[in-house]
Amino acid sequence: MRIGTLKTDYAADEALFDTGLQKCLLALALAGAVLLPFLASPYWLFLACLCAINVASATGLNILTGYTGLVSLGQAAFMSVGAYTVAVLEIHLGTPFLLNLLAGGLTTALVGIAVGIPSLRVKGLYLAIATIAASVVLHFIFSHWALTGGVQGLSMPPARFFGVTMDQPFQLYWMIMPVTMLMVLGAANLFRTRVGRAFIAIRDRDISAEVLGIPLLRYKLMSFAVSSCYAGLAGGLWAYFFRVVTPESFPLVNSIFYLAAIIVGGMGTILGGILGAIFMTMVPEVLKFGAGLVTPFYPDALALLAPVRTIVFGALIVGFLIFEPQGLAEIWRRIRRFFHLWPFKT
Amino acid sequence: MTRKLTRRDVLAAGAAMGSGLAIGIRPLAAQGADIVLGGSIPLTGVFAFAGVGIHNGIQDYLKIVNDAGGVGGRKIKYVAEDTGYKVDASVAAFNKITGQEKVSLYYGDSTGFSKTINPELERRGTILMAGASFATELNDPKKYPLQFMAGPDYSEMFGILLRYCAREQSGAKLDFVYSDTEFGRDPIAPSEALAKTLGLNIVEKIVTPPGSVDVSTEVLKLRRANPDYTIFHGYVLAPIPEFMTQAKQMGLRSKFMGTFWSSDNSTVQRMGDVAEGYMGVMPYRYYYDADGNSPMLEKIRQMRPEYQSTAYLQGFTTALLMCEAVKRTLAAGKELTGVNMKAGLNSIKDFDTGGIFGVPISIPGNSVSVGRIYAFDSKSKQMRPASDWIRLGS
Repeated sequence: MRIGTLKTDYAADEALFDTGLQKCLLALALAGAVLLPFLASPYWLFLACLCAINVASATGLNILTGYTGLVSLGQAAFMSVGAYTVAVLEIHLGTPFLLNLLAGGLTTALVGIAVGIPSLRVKGLYLAIATIAASVVLHFIFSHWALTGGVQGLSMPPARFFGVTMDQPFQLYWMIMPVTMLMVLGAANLFRTRVGRAFIAIRDRDISAEVLGIPLLRYKLMSFAVSSCYAGLAGGLWAYFFRVVTPESFPLVNSIFYLAAIIVGGMGTILGGILGAIFMTMVPEVLKFGAGLVTPFYPDALALLAPVRTIVFGALIVGFLIFEPQGLAEIWRRIRRFFHLWPFKT
Repeated sequence: MTRKLTRRDVLAAGAAMGSGLAIGIRPLAAQGADIVLGGSIPLTGVFAFAGVGIHNGIQDYLKIVNDAGGVGGRKIKYVAEDTGYKVDASVAAFNKITGQEKVSLYYGDSTGFSKTINPELERRGTILMAGASFATELNDPKKYPLQFMAGPDYSEMFGILLRYCAREQSGAKLDFVYSDTEFGRDPIAPSEALAKTLGLNIVEKIVTPPGSVDVSTEVLKLRRANPDYTIFHGYVLAPIPEFMTQAKQMGLRSKFMGTFWSSDNSTVQRMGDVAEGYMGVMPYRYYYDADGNSPMLEKIRQMRPEYQSTAYLQGFTTALLMCEAVKRTLAAGKELTGVNMKAGLNSIKDFDTGGIFGVPISIPGNSVSVGRIYAFDSKSKQMRPASDWIRLGS
């Protein structure tokens, strides 16, 4: 049983990971992340990259919705801004991918600020509708602008890094995973700063936050900017990953996917965004193995079980909302608590 | 013959699945001499209405081939995954299947997937791919050298419709109604140019959101234009019935037409009473067509006594053409590479598909530019031939 964590200096008090066990687990996770590309097949690497992109985007949405309390259904549209920016820069200028990603993030942050302006007057469902409206406008622009290739979109060349063409999941993993890790680390640290705490204060009660001296205008727009920047970076990674960006690459249903991810994972926790995105990405794939299991005995299992799989996935989400409203992060916390207090009961 | 499922089977399968799930351990593939046809198939999602038919069509054709001894003595093994009609899931399925099997043929579910996977197809150079998309963009052998489509592309479908209109009524007035999607906009620009050369007059173009319901404003535009022919594209069903209902209520005498995905017999039946006279362009004979000599349709009817959709025929025909490409490649003593199989496919000239296409076909590029106009007869509740087979470029 752990009875406490002794901290003898301010550095220890500020540390993100404050126990030996946490540091060990982190080291193991990092080692696993480094070894994964050498052990996994392209299929699993593809899924790992997809999970990482979704984690990056879900973390961005978590900053806005989970931490600042501003509901957005525009995350997919923000991703499309980043994806198009990266694609245009890669096709027309051929600039380095890191620069393109940064440009994608910054451009999306600017768009996010513009979209966030209504958040000063409206919130909740009204703000969600405003972000949907912004998505429609962005979709219209992308499908009618010659620079973005109209409805056919853009096909872009792969990223290159010191002469290495990054067109396979193995190479792309080394681009996507580190960027996502840095983004998640950045988000985790954000909420240990004045800015992050201001976001939380706004979420908890915006009027009280204003009374405390937090300028709502600045901080709400800042939250939109940071969240959109994350979406833009994730969109940029997505563009390098698939290398075809069309107006239909980022439909509204993707925004709902990210919102569902942070709800299932646990809103307002960094771990929740990570777990939720992984859950939403991986569960449909893992459920496919069920059909694979039955196929040797019943050849048409694929067609028969495909709709069942969709129903099971939906039921799992509903089940989480009912039985674990705090999300997957809460389950993780309970597990941790169990081991902290073991052999005593929690 | 069925085999009883034992506890040992379940345990073995569970162990296999567990080890498959363990990262990095690839399930043992049945390599042998089988030729593998992989498929990213939309069995769920918005395109499931077609995906199930496509899946059955591919399976049925491969059953016919395998029962007859395979292609060059080699069986064709079909390995498919459901994609939900999402590009990321389709690519995941591609990676999964190609990671487990030595895939030579692949069926893709969408234009987005075909475009996304194209660089990977070229990099591998071992796969010939076709799919559910008839996008004009894909009908470019230079940009998509290892892909093809088992029918005309959308612009060619419009080409067939426009030639029919020009033959029926010189200088006819036309209206294009299409969805504001990549699918909907696909054939519009080239078809405008073609209409001019055929002496047809496009009096209006109406763009709607996909699947829109309230089209009263658009129907007013249609009434003002008063076209002889109205061609829908980029829809499966809605808003076509609403358009036709309101237009007929307003007394418009325009004839209504559609392209492949809105011309399945069961789809047109669902349009209701207004479907009478609705015309569609179709590269294949319908399931029930008894005119002419069509032994392959007869086989299909024996295998499946109930009506099979045009999506089924699309999957069936795609598998047929893929197998023919493999057969020609093996007969030439060449290795089954993407380039060789595509060359085998392109060597198809005046080929009889057993009556699925109503005329012998040739595939000099990425498409089969043949089709016929069918019109709905509400008495028999069937799409019936309204024209001869029309070949483009002849």
